[in-house]
Amino acid sequence: MAAPFRPCDHCAKPAVVHNTVIVDGKMNEVHLCEDHAGAAGIQMPGQAPIHQLLGQLAQVAGTRPRGPVCPECGHTFHDFKTTGLLGCPACYDAFATTVGPVIERSHGGASEHIGNVPARADDANQRAALLQQLLRELETAVSAEQYERAAQLRDRIKDLRPTTAARIDAAP
Amino acid sequence: MTDLTAMMAGDRDVVMSCRVRLARNVSGFPFVGRATHPQRREVLETVRAAAGPDEASVGLVGGGRVGASTAESLAWVDLAALPKRDRQLLWERHLISRQFAEGDSPRAVAVTPDERFSLMVNEEDHVRIQVLRTGNLLREAFDAAVRVDATLGSRLDFAFHPKWGYLTACPTNVGCGIRIGVMVHLRALRVTNEIEKVKRAAKELHLAVRGFHGEGSEATGDWFQISNQRTLGVTETGLLEEFAGRIVPAVVAYEREARRVLLERQRTLLEDRVFRGISLLRSARLLGLDEAMKQLSSVRLGVCLGLIPDVGLDTLNRLTIQLQSAHLRAGESGIESDDDERAARARVARTILGDQ
Repeated sequence: MAAPFRPCDHCAKPAVVHNTVIVDGKMNEVHLCEDHAGAAGIQMPGQAPIHQLLGQLAQVAGTRPRGPVCPECGHTFHDFKTTGLLGCPACYDAFATTVGPVIERSHGGASEHIGNVPARADDANQRAALLQQLLRELETAVSAEQYERAAQLRDRIKDLRPTTAARIDAAP
Repeated sequence: MTDLTAMMAGDRDVVMSCRVRLARNVSGFPFVGRATHPQRREVLETVRAAAGPDEASVGLVGGGRVGASTAESLAWVDLAALPKRDRQLLWERHLISRQFAEGDSPRAVAVTPDERFSLMVNEEDHVRIQVLRTGNLLREAFDAAVRVDATLGSRLDFAFHPKWGYLTACPTNVGCGIRIGVMVHLRALRVTNEIEKVKRAAKELHLAVRGFHGEGSEATGDWFQISNQRTLGVTETGLLEEFAGRIVPAVVAYEREARRVLLERQRTLLEDRVFRGISLLRSARLLGLDEAMKQLSSVRLGVCLGLIPDVGLDTLNRLTIQLQSAHLRAGESGIESDDDERAARARVARTILGDQ
């Protein structure tokens, strides 16, 4: 009898890989189509040499996947590899060493946010990010010889962090 | 009567529509994929309360004041309770993603009556702000999306990291969480086999080129969605300038040049395709979706080159949506078989374009 149709977790195609991952006693099911399974590094039976296949099965059968676990939500690095998704905001710090390089690769080597900052980001975060952004804008303005804009930016930086502004003012 | 000058001015001869989308998550909750159903319901209620009842409260008009007199109400649609056909209808109108249309978890979309704004709650991320415009009105779409973001961001704590920026479930969206995209009709570049050059150039610029329905749809027809892939290490305004100032004008100029060359060197062949297309749409009794899209593409090219003066681009844009499957089924009862659908599609095409 044919298995009941189950769509992939990421698209409408039928899932061909069905994994059960147990983290801290909590069971999570992952269903992936051939393409998304491939993207997550899982090879289909028939494509993989038998020892790799057995390795995968052993990993699935294990009660606790290897690798770091997010202390906030219980997401594992294995979950990330399987789904391509993180579990919660804290995962970014929990998997910093492993996910960080993946992020940088997928953004053409960029490793830092330079865009807008939310109105209600906590003060320290907001100041740090805004300061970085203003410093970059200042650099661009100076190299484009937009001195009026540069002066405005300096004022904003000064308001934000007087010590930094003093350093900029002291620069030639 | 088609006004070619007006069409060229808004780039509407090449740019069918444009879109700006922002991905945000509410602090204190796991991302959607990890959240329990009660948590997803809580996110939904929290975002709904923050968005308020209408265009003014969500930040689209009137500077975020609640209840401004000209503001239209937001229509909230509970996806989990929506029949499958109606979910597909929203997807065909580009108001929600395919992923959002499927599944049964707590999620909803708010839509304005003009359908130029949608707010998806509990898609891959808690909040997806989407602004759509017909033609090349990227700056206008961008301004609207940023205003909504600022309004919601003043009432909700969005998950944010000083190094990574706005945190999203998928790290490919982290940073600005922004996707800027245009839907372009590149018929002439396809005919002249230059489309591969566009795709190669797009890849070098870290742009994604997809089909009519975006992610997961192949760019096999004549419609292409071009959008940014990088969201980290870039600024929102920098991306906007790159798109509105560089990428879109270049693609538009390239397609127009290909059209000019086609008209100059292969006028008879081109006219033949265009007039066959309009004749077919005005007279067919059974019309499959692929065939309809193909003929619409020919007709669109004809309209843009001034060959069919009695058909306007607005009519074609409307037809492109109304000939999709769920729209036909919503418009007429009794469509059961594929042939019923093809007959209905032919009827709608004949009615809108005028039976000859």
